[in-house]
Amino acid sequence: MTLEGRIAIVTGASRGIGRGIAEALAAAGAAVAVNYRSGETQALAVVESIEGNGGRAVAVQGDVAEFAEAQKVIEQTIAELGGLHVLVNNAGIARDALIYNMEPQDWLDVMRVNFGGVFNCTKAAMGHFMGQRDGNIINISSVMGQRGWMGESNYSASKGAINAFTRCCAMELARFGVRVNAVLPGFVPTELVEGLVAKDGGQGILKQLPMRSFGDVGDVANLVAFLAGPESKYMTGSFFTVDGGASAMLGTGASL
Amino acid sequence: MSDHYDAVQQAVAGALGLGEDEVTPDSTLMDDLGAESIDLLDILFRVERSTGVKISASELGDEMQGGIPDEEFGTAEGNVSRKGLEHLQTVMPQMNPDEWGDKLKAEEVISHFTVTNLADMVGRRAA
Repeated sequence: MTLEGRIAIVTGASRGIGRGIAEALAAAGAAVAVNYRSGETQALAVVESIEGNGGRAVAVQGDVAEFAEAQKVIEQTIAELGGLHVLVNNAGIARDALIYNMEPQDWLDVMRVNFGGVFNCTKAAMGHFMGQRDGNIINISSVMGQRGWMGESNYSASKGAINAFTRCCAMELARFGVRVNAVLPGFVPTELVEGLVAKDGGQGILKQLPMRSFGDVGDVANLVAFLAGPESKYMTGSFFTVDGGASAMLGTGASL
Repeated sequence: MSDHYDAVQQAVAGALGLGEDEVTPDSTLMDDLGAESIDLLDILFRVERSTGVKISASELGDEMQGGIPDEEFGTAEGNVSRKGLEHLQTVMPQMNPDEWGDKLKAEEVISHFTVTNLADMVGRRAA
């Protein structure tokens, strides 16, 4: 297995894409810290699922939007699993609204969790990675960080910030043997975007996707496992979209 | 020469992509060898890895200033005071207060920091 002997943490891993990533990394042989903020029962279920498949995992509570808690989460992971090689910054929230209707707190909350979580965990783990000259950071961004979508200005801005940060972080850490990449999922139905399929089963969006189908958590998780492993060793500072062709398209992409 | 000179020389050469013969005891890290802030960070992490001595970039500055308050270390014109220079010479022996008088700009102190100065600092920390 490609991640044998590696130790990883996935933030926001009690559900959704984070859970899928934690399970994929564990399936590839990594010991995994399943970080969660409030979903303890769900996080423990992820740990149980990983252990049931012969893997190693622990649940680590902490709100990564707070720097002190992010530090604690990283320290606890290193103490409980005996090290750290892979940081997957996945924790994220959405507060969708048209800007006209958006409360100032809506952009602050989204920015604090989505981008703040990336900054805080990166800052908390980087010294450890630099000291061992070995580390891998994978930021779960979104195609919304590269393109626009009405009602997602705050989410889109937070993901755009993650992308910009990914580039700079990759540059600063490259010589320390630490890689930093971003994964940009398209439409993947999870609790975060439950509104996506609420109306007409998502048909309105599906007809805008070249592949005519939503992604699943595994599509994102498998890419993260690849980026976490040695087969991607020359890749850093890059963005990888997993979107069924959505962001390749101009306009509706319809023929003349 | 400090017992840690070889480790520091290797760290500097490695971080800057230089041959070890290009890194001499009196080479200044910034001016002569062209180190930038990220290079300095790399050098300090390499030194920590090979010697176990951890020095942060901010500690480097602290050591040069020796705990002397800003208003006593520097003059109103932003140059290093006599008191500052006398301390500086204990960390960077090549900095003779009589030669510098009041002409050393505080912000330029770091540009005079040599490979030997760093090796000596590592030695003091290791002791």
